[in-house]
Amino acid sequence: MARKDPPDTLHASHLRDSVWGYLFLAPMFILTLTFVIYPIFGSVRIAFYNWDGIGNPTQYVGWRHFMGVAKDPWFWGALKHTVIYAAVLVPVQLFLALILALLLNNSRLKGVNFFRALYFMPVVTSGAVVGVVINLLFGNFASGLSAPLIKLGLISTPLDLLGSPSLALGCIIAVGIWHTLGYNLIYFLASLQAVPEELYEAAEVDGASKVQRLVHVTLPSIRPMMVIIVFMAILGSLGQFDLVKTMTDGGPYYASDLVSTYIYSYAFASSHGMSQSNYGLASAASLFMSLMVFGFTMLQLLAIKVSRKERGVS
Amino acid sequence: MRAGDNSRGAAASRNALSILLCIAGFFYVFPFIWTLAGSLKTPSGFFADGLSVIPGNPQWHNYADAWIKGKFGLYFFNSVFITLCTVSLTILFSSMAGYVLSRTLLPGRKVVITLIVITLFLPRGYTILPVFEIIQHLGLLNTLWAVIVVQVGGGLIFSTFLFMGYMQTLPREVEEAAMMDGASFPRIYWSVIMPLVGPIIATVALFSFIGSWNDFFTPLVFSAGKPELRTLAVGMYAFQGENSRDWTLICAAATITLVPVITVFLFLQRYFIEGVAGAVKG
Repeated sequence: MARKDPPDTLHASHLRDSVWGYLFLAPMFILTLTFVIYPIFGSVRIAFYNWDGIGNPTQYVGWRHFMGVAKDPWFWGALKHTVIYAAVLVPVQLFLALILALLLNNSRLKGVNFFRALYFMPVVTSGAVVGVVINLLFGNFASGLSAPLIKLGLISTPLDLLGSPSLALGCIIAVGIWHTLGYNLIYFLASLQAVPEELYEAAEVDGASKVQRLVHVTLPSIRPMMVIIVFMAILGSLGQFDLVKTMTDGGPYYASDLVSTYIYSYAFASSHGMSQSNYGLASAASLFMSLMVFGFTMLQLLAIKVSRKERGVS
Repeated sequence: MRAGDNSRGAAASRNALSILLCIAGFFYVFPFIWTLAGSLKTPSGFFADGLSVIPGNPQWHNYADAWIKGKFGLYFFNSVFITLCTVSLTILFSSMAGYVLSRTLLPGRKVVITLIVITLFLPRGYTILPVFEIIQHLGLLNTLWAVIVVQVGGGLIFSTFLFMGYMQTLPREVEEAAMMDGASFPRIYWSVIMPLVGPIIATVALFSFIGSWNDFFTPLVFSAGKPELRTLAVGMYAFQGENSRDWTLICAAATITLVPVITVFLFLQRYFIEGVAGAVKG
């Protein structure tokens, strides 16, 4: 078939160039296949075997690991904490980020770039290092947060925020909100800057107040991007590991154990009353979590499609 | 122009907002300032000072202690080696793939692009066990290369996507002269295309630098059997577990870990923030 414009086959007409083409693709293709695609299916296989991590898994145990996970109260506890973590973090973080973005989305405000960078800074720092530093700040010895409170006579013994089963998860959520708020600030700023100025001008001509402009112009205009932002925040919070591992390691008494730390402790350490790693159980729990994440991803795609349809974009 | 925005009242409220944002911003980055101060305090000073950010008599030897006694010098070199390799291999492999997928009509190209899009939406992050198994089979267990190949492998899809998108925007003419001269396939990639895609190289480099430097999970898993392979982040976690009372040393180690990444961010923040913003614009 003749195409309208000459085919932009810059190289593929020559066999030698085809060979080069495949050679150029090979590293990306092989590494992705090995470390991204195969492991997704590989973890399914491990979940059906007893495996101690040495050699090939040989002892087939059927659905036993899945039953084990389903019957494990620690797993349901970890799942509950993971859901709480996301359900509290996402709305609070997005609300704060949106307020901050609305304040910063003012071309006349001086130093917008400075503030943007300042509030974004925690994002570029390692969650593990942040966790260790926060341990010192919140620590149960008489320093950091406790020292000034003791001096003021408000408390007599140092606070033990992270050692308290009822407070530990809340502290991790608070640090989590602080740590990645900058992402959402930037997303919201980018969305706000995409709102056409004419819409505001029209609203002003109609005599809309500032609040009315926010409710009737700004928020509806950024709604399609909001959908993406919400789902990215949910998916990000479901993967939380670094902060929990370094701040409490799931403790005290598993009160802040997330599914990610649950899986880790079964796979690489002895915990939950286990003396040995249990890769099969860890894999079964991973699969469950992957399905949940996959479900959210599908929901996200659906939500994006719906919001596009509403806007009349196909 | 909006009415009222130029009035004196509006200017005053903007100034008030600026001051408010400054104060809030100070508290926002306070943990980092406090860490920096803590790294220069004496152990007893650290204990007594609480939230103070002014160390009385700077204890520079805390850094030497962290570097040598705390082994953070070793961890620093591990982090630098891993990050350098991850960043360069990511740029090399993903630009090569992006070049083929965007500038040629190689048979099978469409299939690969479809696979890339599907993979972008597959659930990630809970596949460490099979990855561990593969690393074992490859004989890379207990080497820094385990961390490098896992990091590179995990990031290639996204960066290939970035390179592909950017290279598509180049006009077709750029290769034509070189092809007339009979330049070879790798030559055109290296001397014609790569010099034209500087901005996207910078974006990919920044993202993979920060991702690799801050990665905790991968090096934690692969240094479990060999403490000499720890990176800075893993080293800090382990050090805290073993010497939880060496507060000033932990602060010095944290500063050593945070300074490179915050410095890079401050210098290149515009590119980084624009790259992040692109995620919702696209």
